[in-house]
Amino acid sequence: MKHTRGRRTRTVFAVATVAAVLATSACSIDVDSKSDNTGTEGSMLVAADNGSPTFEKNFNPFSTSKRVTATYMYEPLQVVNTLDGKSTPFLATGSEQVDAKTLIYTIREGVTWSDGTDFTPADVLFTFNLMKEVPGLDNKGVWQHIESLEVVDNTVVFHLLAEDVPAASIIDQQLIVPEHIWADVEDPLTFTNEDPIATGPYVLGDFTPNQYKLAKNQDYWQADKVAVEELILPAANSQLDVVNNGYDWAYAFITDVEGTWVNANQEHNDYWFPPGGTIALVPNLTKAPYNDVNFREGLSLALDREKIADDAEQGYVDAAGQSGLLLPNQEAWLSDDLPDGGEIAQDTDAALAAFEEAGYTMDGDKLVDASGTQLAINIMTANGYTDWLQGLQTVQTQLGAIGIEVTLSQPQPAAYQQSLGNGDFDMAMTGFGGTGSVFQDMNLLLNSEFATPIGTTTTGNFGRFSDPQTDALLADLKASTDEAEQKTIAAQLQQTVYEELPVISMFYGGLWGLYSDENYTGWPTEEDPYAPPNTYNSTPLLILTNLEKAN
Amino acid sequence: MRFVLTKIGLLLLTLWAAVTLNFLLPRLMPGSPADAALAKLAQNGPVSPATKAAIEAQLGVPTGSMFDQYLQYLGNVATFDFGVSYTFFPQPVAGLVAAALPWTLVLVGLVTIIAFIFGTLLGVLAAWKRGTWLDTLPTVGGTFASAFPYFWTALLLLFFLGYVAGWFPTSGAYGRGTTPEFSAAFLLDAIYHAILPATTILITSLGGWILGMRSTMINTLGDDYVTFAEANGLKPRTVAIRYAARNAILPNLTSFGLALGGVVGGSLLVERVFAYPGVGYLLYTAVTNQDFPLMQALFLIITISVLLANFIVDILYGILDPRTRR
Repeated sequence: MKHTRGRRTRTVFAVATVAAVLATSACSIDVDSKSDNTGTEGSMLVAADNGSPTFEKNFNPFSTSKRVTATYMYEPLQVVNTLDGKSTPFLATGSEQVDAKTLIYTIREGVTWSDGTDFTPADVLFTFNLMKEVPGLDNKGVWQHIESLEVVDNTVVFHLLAEDVPAASIIDQQLIVPEHIWADVEDPLTFTNEDPIATGPYVLGDFTPNQYKLAKNQDYWQADKVAVEELILPAANSQLDVVNNGYDWAYAFITDVEGTWVNANQEHNDYWFPPGGTIALVPNLTKAPYNDVNFREGLSLALDREKIADDAEQGYVDAAGQSGLLLPNQEAWLSDDLPDGGEIAQDTDAALAAFEEAGYTMDGDKLVDASGTQLAINIMTANGYTDWLQGLQTVQTQLGAIGIEVTLSQPQPAAYQQSLGNGDFDMAMTGFGGTGSVFQDMNLLLNSEFATPIGTTTTGNFGRFSDPQTDALLADLKASTDEAEQKTIAAQLQQTVYEELPVISMFYGGLWGLYSDENYTGWPTEEDPYAPPNTYNSTPLLILTNLEKAN
Repeated sequence: MRFVLTKIGLLLLTLWAAVTLNFLLPRLMPGSPADAALAKLAQNGPVSPATKAAIEAQLGVPTGSMFDQYLQYLGNVATFDFGVSYTFFPQPVAGLVAAALPWTLVLVGLVTIIAFIFGTLLGVLAAWKRGTWLDTLPTVGGTFASAFPYFWTALLLLFFLGYVAGWFPTSGAYGRGTTPEFSAAFLLDAIYHAILPATTILITSLGGWILGMRSTMINTLGDDYVTFAEANGLKPRTVAIRYAARNAILPNLTSFGLALGGVVGGSLLVERVFAYPGVGYLLYTAVTNQDFPLMQALFLIITISVLLANFIVDILYGILDPRTRR
C-alpha cells in the first residue's frame, strides 16, 4: 500500500509540475484562428455530420445510420418547424383537412429529380406504398395513421384509420423518394443509395472518408432562394475544431460559449439555444410513494428550478414550467388558468406540508415516514449525460436540505433506455416534448396506451400515467379540427399536468445552434424563429433556403 | 513433439473458451442494440413507438433461443462470417474490420517494434553505464513519461503541437478530402498524420522496455560468466552485447511477443483522441452502440492474436530454453 501511495504522490507531483509549466507558458499563447477551409468562394463549413471516425457512404433516407445530410437532399411534403408546429410547403403546395379522417395534399408541379426526371404525385404514392410493404422503412409510423391513399389529378388523398387531425404533421414530414430508382431496388432496407437522386437544394459532391461536399442543385425548384453554392462537411468536429476552424454553422453543446465560440470571432460569431424539449423527473407511478400526488407535489415544491437549470446547462436555458408545454415556442397554447403561467417557485414550507399529507414528517434534520425511516429516493440518469448529472446533483442537494436522501444511478445509455422503457426505476430523468405538435407531445406524455405493464417496453409515458378522463380528452383533441376547441382541450390537459404531476418538469433542453454571419446572413434567431437551429432532420431545409450572402 | 501437441491442445481449448465467452459477454450487457439506437435518437427529440419497431425490423435484432443463436454463431465464426454491423448498418462487419485493421497494424505495430528496439538498447546502455547520466536520464525519464496516462499525453500533444503551434494535423489518419490510395503523396500525408499518435504511444511505452531490460541486464552482469569474460580481457562492448544482453533479453522478448499480439486491439484511447480510424476506435464505437456483431468480430480477432502470440512465444521458449519443455 505504501508503495502505491509513494507512486501516486510522485505522479501527482509530476502532473503538478507540468501543469505549472503549461500555465506559465499558456499566458503568452494565443490559439490562432486557422481557417483551413478547403472550400472556394460561396462554400460553407458545417459541423453537422460526425464520422465515427470516418464516413460510411449511406444516403438511404429511411436508414437510421444514414448520413445526416440525406435530409438536405430528400424533401418531405411539408417541413414542420419543431418549435411551433407550423408547416411550410415543399413537395406539396399545401394540404387541406377535408374532415378529421381525410387529408388532401396538392402536389407541387414543375419539380424535377436531380437526374432530370419529372417528379409526380405517383412518386408520393410509391413512397408510402413502399413503406407499407417494408415496415422497417416506416420510421415515423405513418401507416399507424393511414388506411389508404390515392392519386387524384395532381393531389394525393389520404384516408386515415380514425379521426386523426394530428396525423397531418406526421405525413407532412415523410421524405419522398423517386419511383423510377427505388422500384428497382432489391432490398430497400440494406440499400446504401450511394448516388442519391432527390429533389432537394443539394446534390452529393466529392465524397471522401474524412470529408464530403454537397453542391447546389442548379435545377432546384426554388434555386433562387439557395445562396450557398457548396456545403463542406468534415468528419471530425471536436469543440476545438469548431472554435478554431472558422465554421459557418455548427450544432454543438460547447462549454462557456461566450468565451470560446463567440470569442473566436467577436464580430460575427453568435449562437441561439431555443428550447427543444423539456427535461423532467419522471416518477414511477406504479410504485409507492411515487403514486401519491401529495408526495409528488412535495418534491416539485422543494426544487429551485432556476438553480437546477443554471447548474446543468451553464445558464444557457430557462427553468421549465409545469404546463407540459414547451415555452415560449408553444406560448399560443398556454392556458390562462394556470397560476404564473405554470411556473412553480421553490416553497419549502408548502413542500413540507405536502409531504406531511403524504405521511412524511420532519424529525430533526431528516424527513421520515410513520415508522421513523428516512425518506430515500433513487433517481436514474444515463451515464455520460454530464449536463443532466450536474442538474441532478443540484436536485440531490436541494432535496437533501429538507432531509431526503437521494441516490443516483447511472447505467449506460442503452441500459438506461431499457430500464426507462420497462418501467424499471423509481424516478428517472428524461426529456419529453419537442415534436412541435401539442397533441403529439401530450399524447406521448399522458396517454395510457403507452402505460404498458411494468417489464414490457414502451416509448412514451414512462411513468405509466393512466387516467380515463385524460385519455378521452386526448381522443377529443385528436379528432378536433377546430382550433378554438383544440385550445380548450389543451388547456384541460395542461391543468392535468400541473395538478397531477405525472412528470416534474425541471428545465428546457436546448438546441445548440452556433452560427457565423461573416459569410451568410439570415440565420434563425429568437426574434425570427422561422426554424430551429439544428443541423439534423428536415428543418435545415428552411434555413438553407433562407440564408443570403453577406456583403 | 509431445510438447508441441500439448500446447496445440491447450490452444484449442482456450480458443473455444474465448469464443464462447465472446458470445456470452455482449449479451450479458444490459440494453439491446435497438435501445442503444433509441437512446441516441431520443437526444434529438421524442421517439415514437413506430420508430422502435422500425429500428428492430431494420437491424434484424437476433431472435430465437440463446442456444440456437450460439450454434449459429459458432458456424459463423468457423466461416469468418460476422454478419452486418448494427451501427454502420448495412455495412458488413468483415469490411469494417478490414478497413480499420491496416491503420492499427501499421501505427501501433510499428511503434511497438520501435519502442521495443529503442527501449531495449537504452536499457542495455543504462545497465552497462550504471550510475552515469546515461543511466539516470532514460530511467527517470522513462518512468516519468510512462506514469502519464495515454490520453493525457495525447491531449497535451494535440493541444500544443496540433492547435497552438499548428505543426501537426489534429485528427484523422489522412487529410480531409483525400481518399486512401497507393501513392507517394498519400503515404507522406498518412505519415504526417501518424506522427502525433505515434509519439504518444512511444512516449508512454518506452519506459517499460527500458526498465525491464535494465533490471534483467543488471542481474546478468553479476553472473560469473560475465566476470569471467571480462577477466579474459574481452572488449567491454562484446561482453555487454554478446554475453550479457543476449541472455538478459529473454524475458523482454516474451513481453514483446505478447505486446505484438495486443497490437491488433489497437490503442483505444489514443485512437479516440486523434480520431484515428483504427481497431481501437472501431471497438469503442461498437461497445457504445451495443453492436453485437462488430464487438464479437473484434474481440475474437484480438483474443485469437493474443493467443497465437502466446503460443508462438511458448514454442520459441521451448526451443530457446530446453528446461521449459518439461
